[in-house]
Amino acid sequence: MKAKGLSIAVVTAGALLAGCGGGPGGGGGKISDGGVTLAVLNDQSAVYADLSGKNSVTAVEMAVADYKAKYGDKAVADKIEVISADHQNKPDLANSKAQELYDRRRADVILDVPSSAAALAVATQAKAKKKIFIDIGAATTELEGKQCNKYTFHYGYNTYMLANGTGSTVTADGAKTWYIVYPDYAFGQDMNKSFTAAIQKAGGTVVRSDPTPFPNDNFSTFLLKAPNLNPKPQVLGTMQAGGDLVNLVKQYNEYKLQDKGIDLAVGLMFITDIHSLGPDALAGTTFTDPWYWNANQQNRAWADKFMAKTGTRPSFAHAANYSAALQYLEAVQRAGTDDADAVVKELEGHTFNDVFADNATIRAEDHLLLHDVELAQVKPSSEVKEPWDYEKILKTIPAEQAFQPADGSCRL
Amino acid sequence: MIIRLLARRPVAAGIGLIAALALPWLIYPPVAMDIMAWALLAVAVDLLLGYGGLLSFGHAAFWGTSAYTTGLIALHTGLPFPVAIVGGALAAAALAVPIGYLSVRLSGIYFAMVTLAFAQMIYFIVNQWRDVTGGENGLQGVPRELLGADLSDPFYFYYAGLPFVLLGLWAAWRIVRSPFGQVLVSIRDNPSRARALGYPVDRYRLLAFVLSAALAGLGGGVFAISHGFASLHDVYWTTSGQAVMMVILGGIGTLWGAVLGAAVIVTLNDYLATAGFEETGIVTGAIFVLIVLLFRKGLWGTGRDLLTAARARRARPAESGEDRKVEVATERPAAVAERSGG
Amino acid sequence: MIEQAFNGLVGGAFYALLALGLAVIFGMLGVVNFAHGAFYMLGAFGAFILLDSFGIGFWAALVIVPVLLGLVGMALERLLIRRLSGLDPLYGFLLTFGLALILQDLVRRQYGVQSQQYARPELLGGTLNLGLFDYPAYQVFVLALSAVVCGAVWLLLTRTKIGMIVRASTEKPELTRALGIDVSRWVTPVFGFGIALAGLAGVLAAPMRAINPLMGGDLIIVVFAVVVIGGLGSVFGSVAAGFLIGLVSALGNLYVPALSQTLVFILMAAVLLWRPAGLFGRQEGLT
Repeated sequence: MKAKGLSIAVVTAGALLAGCGGGPGGGGGKISDGGVTLAVLNDQSAVYADLSGKNSVTAVEMAVADYKAKYGDKAVADKIEVISADHQNKPDLANSKAQELYDRRRADVILDVPSSAAALAVATQAKAKKKIFIDIGAATTELEGKQCNKYTFHYGYNTYMLANGTGSTVTADGAKTWYIVYPDYAFGQDMNKSFTAAIQKAGGTVVRSDPTPFPNDNFSTFLLKAPNLNPKPQVLGTMQAGGDLVNLVKQYNEYKLQDKGIDLAVGLMFITDIHSLGPDALAGTTFTDPWYWNANQQNRAWADKFMAKTGTRPSFAHAANYSAALQYLEAVQRAGTDDADAVVKELEGHTFNDVFADNATIRAEDHLLLHDVELAQVKPSSEVKEPWDYEKILKTIPAEQAFQPADGSCRL
Repeated sequence: MIIRLLARRPVAAGIGLIAALALPWLIYPPVAMDIMAWALLAVAVDLLLGYGGLLSFGHAAFWGTSAYTTGLIALHTGLPFPVAIVGGALAAAALAVPIGYLSVRLSGIYFAMVTLAFAQMIYFIVNQWRDVTGGENGLQGVPRELLGADLSDPFYFYYAGLPFVLLGLWAAWRIVRSPFGQVLVSIRDNPSRARALGYPVDRYRLLAFVLSAALAGLGGGVFAISHGFASLHDVYWTTSGQAVMMVILGGIGTLWGAVLGAAVIVTLNDYLATAGFEETGIVTGAIFVLIVLLFRKGLWGTGRDLLTAARARRARPAESGEDRKVEVATERPAAVAERSGG
Repeated sequence: MIEQAFNGLVGGAFYALLALGLAVIFGMLGVVNFAHGAFYMLGAFGAFILLDSFGIGFWAALVIVPVLLGLVGMALERLLIRRLSGLDPLYGFLLTFGLALILQDLVRRQYGVQSQQYARPELLGGTLNLGLFDYPAYQVFVLALSAVVCGAVWLLLTRTKIGMIVRASTEKPELTRALGIDVSRWVTPVFGFGIALAGLAGVLAAPMRAINPLMGGDLIIVVFAVVVIGGLGSVFGSVAAGFLIGLVSALGNLYVPALSQTLVFILMAAVLLWRPAGLFGRQEGLT
């Protein structure tokens, strides 16, 4: 019902604009469809619901409020709407929801979209509809590689960054032999490839890597296999994410693999994972975090505002959604229009600093956001001073080292 | 007067055709295409259940196999999409031969369970055969090639996809009214008697199964091209279950009812999802339970009974004789014998 | 290898408990309960909710949850399923399919699809030395308890009068009725009992599997295949096939990982070719 009312309003607005002689995308400070619509498309009910989910919608609303406060009457986009949809982590649903958001609900930009398969589907829609898509939740490098397109941006993190941070560091610290288990879908396959490359580059070897069903709750087959591999691996590298990671770590502790000399390295970890497992289950584990709420005063101040609204501390995905929405609106402001091509032009090559991204550049060649990231370690509960205070920052990896160089595989 | 006019088949078919042509003007065109594709799947299930007495809970296997095959052909060969859809339907029919061969040995509840299990096997195979199917990622970016025509607007694509659906519906209608269909019904009503009369019961059932799978495949192919996507959801058991729900909701053994059921469920799901209510199972499940408990003839059957009753009240009271038989069919969809051993 | 076999038996224990309930219900009511997986899921959620909201631990949950779900099952039989008696058994299947959807999505609405966590009971937290290898104590407990339950049910069915009636009507329904034995009195309690078994399996699953609304849906289809392999009319066959399938899929996982999930269905196809009524089913009277 609501959508129908909206589309009628949209048609009227469009007719009015056309009547004024400057159709949508005509330039000259025009906003199409009577306003700017930001759509958050993510997983609000399945495995990634906690680490992004509905709270990312709140983060985007915070960005809209900050934009309005900053520009007041001068804001190009005076009417901004934030809408959201749940793709339940299914690529087919992401595909049809993206189509619907762009067509029926007149979204100017789609944000977030965790899970690589879903993100690739939405990127295809963005390209077909010539509308902007800023992906935050997915990690696959395909988004800025072979499957890149003019309207798709990748914001926050990717598998190269995770592998390069975690894989290289752990291997360089002496753990030379790895057993990798990865979930059997785009993200996991990509992580497996990236980690293997990073480990080998750092002088280590991958003894074996096994795909696991996704989602999966029983990892006993793989955990039992680990100590019997030849040579025996020093590290079990898990590329599982969300609920699967929680299960795997629980079972890793049950089979007491640490006592058998096999350490745990985690490919992708969100602070929500540490929260649900408790820090002791993961204490000492090294991982790469694109952003940590308690890393500095600026982050903390934003995290306080976020907590006041949601009752929880933000994960990096929440902060990245805020930042992406803000940078999109800033680009609209600079372009003076919400026309997709004009906004893309403003985003490309833009350099900035905000609460999420330090030393940030949106690389023009492949639309990947480069920014400083953190190498972090999980604290044991004895060192945790307040709720959600789980991470110790080991070092900051500068933007130009953290991400892969543009390799020319992307043709926009 | 109007009632009697509606009861004439050409009139009903004409109204149906006009409704199908007008649909994308009335609702969001991709949803209109979904209704038509699902209608084919539901009709395929009804063909088996209503006329063969066999409840297939595994038609997702055929729908999905065709979706993937169609997608693969369109992606890798660049052939026009109608060729891809026909290829998909043929693949579904081919898959139905071994599955049907094993399943038609059983009937009633066993048949339902076994088809469900085989479909789940296909699901696992599609999931694991990543190199071809893309596994969890699905097949993405399936093109809509048709002699260079621009069909990217779903409104125009609807009219390009519609002929396949109409073709499928027409075929189902022909099958049901052919001598083959008559034999199928007599096997449903009394398999032992049909066997005694010399009909090769299993072979008839197998042929019905394969034809039904081809129809489901036609729907799956249209669906894949329409979405530009084939995903694991297409081969998942919930897809089979949804098709069965459409048939029961619309009315078993009526074909038109299956189409109506598809329209209602797709529209309802779309309405709920747009309203932000994703747990559609609560609503569709509850409606389904009510239908099973109280209105086993479904929307179409119940509606027709009401019409007949209205007509009977005006004319002579004995006119409902023809419908009594259908009522028996809708009340007892399966063969009589599966538990007692006929 | 032996460890993996053990793993398989633990997995098989869940199949066996579910198949047992399914078989008993089918025998008495002629209904294949599609919602059986949903009740398994509710069993796991029941344990989770008891601990999370009421601080009631695993051992109490092991009793409370099956009893509660059993009562829910009895109510369901009285209110809904009974109305379909005398109709084609397919309607029972369809009704329970609808119920499964409702239950699954109700829980999804409340808890989302992300997995809930349930801590292992303290007493069974460690590992147990089984001579050849160390094995998590909890898994040993699951295996032992389900074997005891299946054994007890078997004794109940073979040694008591109620059991005789239930078994007779499960395995020879027409004959039982022909002998004038009134089975209708037992329909409601038996349905409740079957549901309670599913609930028990759910509670047992809570500490070792991810608790989410979809956990039952996929499992029940495998259990259907198990029941087809064992023979739907056969109580013993269902249990035996349950453990067998657990074992076969674990070993399959080890030797032919590509087939690990399809193996059970391949086995089902083979059984259908060879003995359409299942390994332990009566071969007459299927078509």
